[in-house]
Amino acid sequence: MNQPTTNNQQRPKRVWQWIDIRNRKLGMIAYVLNRITGLGLVVYLYLHLMVLSQLTNGPAGWDGFVAMAKSPLFLTFDVILLAGLLIHALNGVRIVITGVGAGAGSQKSMFVAFMTLAAVLLAAGAFLIFTK
Amino acid sequence: MSVLRPERSQRSGRLKNIMQNTKNHRGSLGWIFQAITGVLLIVLAGLHMIAQHFVAKEGLRNFEEARSYLANPVILPLEVGFLVVVTVHALLGVRAVLFDLGLSDATEKRITQAFWVIGSLTIAYGLWMTYKVITF
Repeated sequence: MNQPTTNNQQRPKRVWQWIDIRNRKLGMIAYVLNRITGLGLVVYLYLHLMVLSQLTNGPAGWDGFVAMAKSPLFLTFDVILLAGLLIHALNGVRIVITGVGAGAGSQKSMFVAFMTLAAVLLAAGAFLIFTK
Repeated sequence: MSVLRPERSQRSGRLKNIMQNTKNHRGSLGWIFQAITGVLLIVLAGLHMIAQHFVAKEGLRNFEEARSYLANPVILPLEVGFLVVVTVHALLGVRAVLFDLGLSDATEKRITQAFWVIGSLTIAYGLWMTYKVITF
């Protein structure tokens, strides 16, 4: 896993270098994008579990939160969450497809296709979030 | 989930060779589990998002709706499965990020042990919350 390889030489040596996408190839951008969205989703998972603890207080605890969660600010956070989920999930599908030995020569076009799909689904999801 | 690099895809495609090296074995098994949980998550998270946020009136269920939803014998195992799978996938992902920093074998083992504890506590906390809501 940690053996140096030609491809590993492109990988950021420090975590903060992940956000520096200058002179990066598309594969590197996909790698960084997946790491950043993944870590963001882990943070969200634990925040979500903390918020859900309001459910244990019954209607008094939960229904007040539900009213607050319908504010435009919260809905905007929902759209950001959906973007992270779609990017991470569809990039992950590409990784699995390539990982099982299929489409190794078309990773870039797959990445572009999946990110386009993510953008379309995000637009539809954002519309639903703000109009329901 | 760490993004696939060609050398990783080649390793996961040659499992017998991987097994000859303990460190690669550990990392690749993690990758395989992450891929499996990732695929499961697309189904489970998709169901969760659609049922909890897109089908629910006004985007979120009130307490009574959430309680009756969780008490549904079909939904409960799906939501518990989602909790387990998302926790495993998330912690394997963080573990992969940490392993890529080039840590020693001993540190990697300690991280794995710590994540077993964190994961178990997370799942236990989620199960406790689910029980409390259903029996409220």
